[in-house]
Amino acid sequence: MSLGRVAAIARQDLRILRTDLMAIVPLIVLPLVVMPFLRPAFRAAFHFGGLHRATGAEQVVPGMAVTFGFFLVMNTSSSFFREHMWRTWDRLRASAAGPAEIMLGKLVTPLVEFAIQFVVLFGLAGALMDLHVRGSWLGLGAVGCAFAVFLVTTGVAVTAICRTYMQATATVTAGALVMAGFAGALVPFALLPPWAQAVSPLVPSYWAMQGYKHAIFGGKPVLLPVLALLGFALLSGLLAAARFRFDDHKLGPT
Amino acid sequence: MLKVRGVHKSYETVRALDGVDLDVERGEIVALLGPNGAGKSTLVSVVAGLCRPDQGEIRLNGIDTRAHPGLARQQVGLSPQETGIYPILSVRDNLRFFGELAGLRRPELERRIEEVAAAFSLGGLLGRQGRKLSGGEARRLHTAMIVLQRSPLLLLDEVTAGVDVQARKQLLDLIGALAGRGSAVLYCTHYLHEIEALGAQRVAILLEGRVVIAGSVAELVGALGGSFVELRFDRQPAGLDLPPGTVAVEENVLRVPAEGSPAVAAAELAGRLDRSGATLREIKLVQPSLESVFLSVTAGTSNGGPP
Repeated sequence: MSLGRVAAIARQDLRILRTDLMAIVPLIVLPLVVMPFLRPAFRAAFHFGGLHRATGAEQVVPGMAVTFGFFLVMNTSSSFFREHMWRTWDRLRASAAGPAEIMLGKLVTPLVEFAIQFVVLFGLAGALMDLHVRGSWLGLGAVGCAFAVFLVTTGVAVTAICRTYMQATATVTAGALVMAGFAGALVPFALLPPWAQAVSPLVPSYWAMQGYKHAIFGGKPVLLPVLALLGFALLSGLLAAARFRFDDHKLGPT
Repeated sequence: MLKVRGVHKSYETVRALDGVDLDVERGEIVALLGPNGAGKSTLVSVVAGLCRPDQGEIRLNGIDTRAHPGLARQQVGLSPQETGIYPILSVRDNLRFFGELAGLRRPELERRIEEVAAAFSLGGLLGRQGRKLSGGEARRLHTAMIVLQRSPLLLLDEVTAGVDVQARKQLLDLIGALAGRGSAVLYCTHYLHEIEALGAQRVAILLEGRVVIAGSVAELVGALGGSFVELRFDRQPAGLDLPPGTVAVEENVLRVPAEGSPAVAAAELAGRLDRSGATLREIKLVQPSLESVFLSVTAGTSNGGPP
């Protein structure tokens, strides 16, 4: 294992990201656009529920972070599909970089993207929208780290399963909406129908929302959500390990 | 440098390699010829570590590719058949990436980038995005990305495809110079005339997954490169009683071995033509060459047309 080669692959993907920043628009810009529209409704919902000090940011910031965070799955997957589309995948595989180095190098950029999203949404947007973290910033960061690991391992699993870029896009888009719905990211969890609330703990994004909310409101530990997210990440990782074939031929966007 | 022994590789029901043996020494250029589907690209992929052989042994610089794939990969530079570059990155960043993967660090990396860019006439294009290059420029970059690494073994799969005449000559000269500096080169091509221009020391002809003959151009021509009488008809001839070794180059073009005197062979053939139902349009004598070797070796195969 050469850290130099891992770093070279990571740098290359960062160069690509720098050249085409559109990849992070869905992660960062779209939530910023949507948040101001949703915050008043969430504030009203919290006030109706008796939380009179709530600003609505406690729901809208983590909710949008979770909903749009799923685009990280697509970004992770895209970094593999585009190598196939550009016919550079075999060149990369024939280079001195081994499979583990390629995989690790490819995961760095999505994690950097997640870190940017986390800082912008919870830091900047939080400040602009009166988000008060009454629990722990450290806990918030721990949930973010666990969620990021889940998202990138899921990105690799999606790449392993899908043969074409369109299949990956459709899978991630559908998955993101369903998961955001069950997580209580689109509407507060308490307003979900009982059957959805019963199913929610089976959905990874539910634990991300719970973790963020525990860290924001305080009073409850984030350990269980973090462990749950790492457990889902392990499942995604196992699926990816079982199905990912470096010599598969993938089809990029047509 | 490269030793391939008894390598087999099958894809489902297709046997792509069927016991290939091949050596390439340091400083040597070996040209690999074969009709479409003969297994050239599969052999290159197996040597480059892109796919595992079902059976057999490959050693790169003495390293067993199965036992030490990571070490083996460091010995090889692959320029695949299809152009593969990062279109949204600059020529410099494309070169830089493959230099970094080979472990080059500044300032050596930047020096090599300048050197290789100059050699491939890309010096003025270093800041240009890959997608804005012409087909020939992209192809040159594609090959330069590997040459930059100065690997002990270069696997070059049809690197001159789509390259103009001037750039092709430049590229062949450069490959020759790399071999002169000690790199072993396995060069797959469809262009027989390139082999002489390249100064390939040996030629190996791959047919249905096996190396059927290998040697210097002179050895092959001496052993198999007999003269041919080439007959071109207005349509496919029928009912001709032709001597063994006759090759259909095209539907209406036959090459008949001219054993002994070509003039006698041509006269004998002329006597049989009235039964063919086709009109003879052209008759010519083909002198011994690598092409005649190739055609005689591939005669009778389903892909035995021109390489």
